[in-house]
Amino acid sequence: MSPLASTWAAEVAAVFAKEWRCELRTKVALNTLGLFAVTTLVVASVSLGPLGVSKAQGSALLPVLLWLILLFSVAAGLPRAFVQEEESQTATALRLSATPSALFCGKLLYSLTLVVALEALITPIYVTIMNLQVARPGLLVTALAAGGYGLAAGSTLVAAIIAQARSKGTLFSVLSFPILLPLLILVIELTRNAVLGDPAGMALAQLLLYDASVSIFGLMLFPVVWNP
Amino acid sequence: MKKNLPWLLWLWISAVIVGAFYYAPLAAKFIGKSSRILYFHVPMAWVSFTAFIAAAVWSVLYLMKGRQERHDRAAAVAIQLGLLFGVLAIVTGSLWARIEWRMWWNWDPRQTSLLISLLFYAAYLALRGAVDDPEKRGRLAAAYALLGIVVTPFLFWVMPRITFSLHPQPVVNADGKVEMDPRIFQVLLASTFAFTALFFWMHNLQCRLQALVARKTDEQE
Repeated sequence: MSPLASTWAAEVAAVFAKEWRCELRTKVALNTLGLFAVTTLVVASVSLGPLGVSKAQGSALLPVLLWLILLFSVAAGLPRAFVQEEESQTATALRLSATPSALFCGKLLYSLTLVVALEALITPIYVTIMNLQVARPGLLVTALAAGGYGLAAGSTLVAAIIAQARSKGTLFSVLSFPILLPLLILVIELTRNAVLGDPAGMALAQLLLYDASVSIFGLMLFPVVWNP
Repeated sequence: MKKNLPWLLWLWISAVIVGAFYYAPLAAKFIGKSSRILYFHVPMAWVSFTAFIAAAVWSVLYLMKGRQERHDRAAAVAIQLGLLFGVLAIVTGSLWARIEWRMWWNWDPRQTSLLISLLFYAAYLALRGAVDDPEKRGRLAAAYALLGIVVTPFLFWVMPRITFSLHPQPVVNADGKVEMDPRIFQVLLASTFAFTALFFWMHNLQCRLQALVARKTDEQE
């Protein structure tokens, strides 16, 4: 590895480690994400009633509910990645100590680990209490991985944008939902295919393309958002 | 000459209105006279998307050419007008859908794509409203506009798979052919041109007005 690349990778790792160290001190994002997701899951489950939904309805409805729970939980927890830098006035120090691309990748990795942890917590509970029978578990894991990455990548740039604006909490949902909607539609289709045992089809390729586009353009646009 | 352009536009649009009601025949397979709304609905939807692309171009110019306020203003005004024309396209589309499909709204892929684009325009304007510093507002809004233009094409792939479309064929169909009465096509083309010119005229007026207001505010401060 060239010295330049190793410095860059070290910066990414340092940002990632710093994020987790800060998070483990307060555990605000972990608690917010986890509690929000579990509460929403319980609300969704109770609202459907003790009998839940029939198998035929379930394959259409339950993937939608799962991804809505994940989307709203992400909206509750991920914006903190950048908001806390502005609130604790550490943004300038961060600007001086890491290149924008390394910072973006470090924050993205941190968001990704949060989303993966959230999915690992929520999905088994959801599948169990909703009595969701998944015909192709491998495809469900693929959908969760690609969808989770898309949620993290799409949210990172928007989180950096709203951190510098007023009314940050509501603004994140307003700005990120139109960006995340194509992802949501694709990943719901993929999850539905996993439940029914259908092949992944074009949805997986398009989802991966979405992930790649959002990452590349996020990386390109991040310096504009970050540097005054 | 430049002074007469608005009058020329006024004459052109008047001719389009007359053409839409008296020159173009009624389209086949459309209920009653519902096809006449086509000459206003299609150009409005077209202008809404043109505004979106124009805003992205002005956002790139803002970021690449030394962050000049006029480029940021041009992008913001394009989005405001895109929102206006988008809402009008949805309203005219719904009026037509009520006659043709017996429903104001049926989640047709084109309706849905346009609706999501409007959500995006509104979010862009909400972002601008939440940032006071003009330089910061310009770069954040430009970044958001460009992220939007990257994501939007996915809607056009994804939507048709979710709901089937009852929407009539586009003006130029999938085979690259125009299958409509030549007079309908002429009026539609003239109307699209008129609405595009109207958009750029309104854009120019609004940009000049906002520049004047900004200068006045600077003088007062």
